Amino acid sequence: MTWPIDAEKLCTERFGLELCETEGAGVDRTQLIELATALKNELEFGFFVYVVSVHYPAVEPIEADEEKGTEAAPGIPDRTVVHYRLRRLATDDRPTECFAFFTVVPTGESCPSVSSIWAGADWQEREQFDLVGTVFADHPDLRRIMMPEDWPGHPLRRDYAIDTQHFPWR
Amino acid sequence: MSGLESAPAAVTPDDNVQWTTVGGVRVPVELITPPWPDPYLDIEDYDPDADLMVLNMGPQHPSTHGVLRVKLFLDGEICVKCVPYLGYLHRGVEKLCEKLSYVQITPIVDKNDYVSPMMNELAINMAFEKLIEAEVPRRSQYIRTICAEIQRVGSHLLWLGTFGLDMGGAIGGGGSIFMHTFRERELLLDLFEDLTGCRFHYNTHTVGGNRHDIPAGWAAKATKVLAELNARCFEYEQFVRENEIFRARTVGVGVVDPVLAMELGISGPILRASGVDVDLRRDQPYAAYGEIDINVPTETAGDCFARYLVRVAEMRESIRIATELLKGIPEGPIGSLKPVKLAGAVKAKHGKAVYAAIESPRGELGTFVVGNTERRQAAIPYRCKIRSPSMHALQLLPYLCPGNNLSDIIVALGSLDPIMGEVDR
Repeated sequence: MTWPIDAEKLCTERFGLELCETEGAGVDRTQLIELATALKNELEFGFFVYVVSVHYPAVEPIEADEEKGTEAAPGIPDRTVVHYRLRRLATDDRPTECFAFFTVVPTGESCPSVSSIWAGADWQEREQFDLVGTVFADHPDLRRIMMPEDWPGHPLRRDYAIDTQHFPWR
Repeated sequence: MSGLESAPAAVTPDDNVQWTTVGGVRVPVELITPPWPDPYLDIEDYDPDADLMVLNMGPQHPSTHGVLRVKLFLDGEICVKCVPYLGYLHRGVEKLCEKLSYVQITPIVDKNDYVSPMMNELAINMAFEKLIEAEVPRRSQYIRTICAEIQRVGSHLLWLGTFGLDMGGAIGGGGSIFMHTFRERELLLDLFEDLTGCRFHYNTHTVGGNRHDIPAGWAAKATKVLAELNARCFEYEQFVRENEIFRARTVGVGVVDPVLAMELGISGPILRASGVDVDLRRDQPYAAYGEIDINVPTETAGDCFARYLVRVAEMRESIRIATELLKGIPEGPIGSLKPVKLAGAVKAKHGKAVYAAIESPRGELGTFVVGNTERRQAAIPYRCKIRSPSMHALQLLPYLCPGNNLSDIIVALGSLDPIMGEVDR
């Protein structure tokens, strides 16, 4: 997949970001709102497609072991990767085009909310908060949306114990 | 009224409509009505002298199309604030996708949008094919496209019938339009039963192709059924369009602002009824849509009546597309991979994230899939997210309801065509 040329130019020249082939631009949380605003106001990405968080559990650091032949690798902390996708609707002189970007949110920290830029992100962010546990700062109404309000844990985290019994009465 | 003329581009003449461009997209001027109602209105800030009533519509309410609960704050008969509550039908489909292999997921997603199940299969298998870079043979693409179009007709038929019930049987008295549309939907379900052996949950698409080939004589039978249905569509238009009660209940009710709708991520008939000419089948062709011309019916009024007109025009357009494709189904295999017997036969060995989208009867239905990098888990996706158009459509309710009276809210909700299985997943 190729990304729209103007969006690629915006990311590489103004924000200094690298673009992946399928995931789009990897952006720091501090630049997220600035990038999103520029994409909407300057490049006309007015149609909001999705926001998805993906949880990755912590990876233990590996020490070098000459006997086994393993190389040292640094550990990675527990984190969620939040993916966004936008669409520019087709008109007479251009086809429809998508643009995607993602940001890494370490567990325990929050991700800025884009619901003030695209109103459609509102429930999507609530859903990701509910199921994956990503906290979106400045969200107007961050409540659970799918699970009951008193549900323990976030089901789509990789460390969620799936065989625990949860009774609807408590 | 025989012959399959293509659907008219717009039923009302465009001459009197003023257009403007917002974000590069052409939209009718008079539908743009900011400021939009505040969905988080603090009810304490509303007129303290008003005697507000809180009404819980749903989750067991016949007109909410499933288990949707809408909390309405009413001032007399007029709605002040509306808070929708979802999750009554949450089955954890995305969590199930993390435990099942690529082959086993297809019958699970059938239950998401239970009115047009084959659309779900198509959307999720397209994403898997993109992830493992599998080709789909041309014959399979044709079968998928024909089925998708017939599913679209069936879905809109069900919508038209239940929309008549929402209005208290306003169309033709009692539930008569419901009886008519369900009689026709039955014919379509018979077609699918001949093709797959099942009437609702087909499990016919798989990664890299289809499971079931077209049986002998199916194409001729389908063509005959579709021609019959095309004639009936004219009947529905005559039945409903000049019906005074139907017009009184729908014209000017639930007008959707196209700019707000685009921001909310709403696509499909709702956006097209508000004058935005957008259709993924034409703009981003998938399956066999690249080989055929598609007319996209649009309307400029943006109200419930316009959404009805768009859906009926779409039904006729879908019938035309399916009939034309049925004439030239190419020969060849129906799957690119070997017939899949083992659950772990399809594997993705990288952690890339891909997204594939289709135009379902309700709008953009997409699937976001992340592959699993762990070698032992290569046949299971790491994360799967279904982007359902109905959930985005329901986000309109807090903007649409304030200022309307209760009976109009029910009609407006029905015209959005939400499927709760898809919203809650």
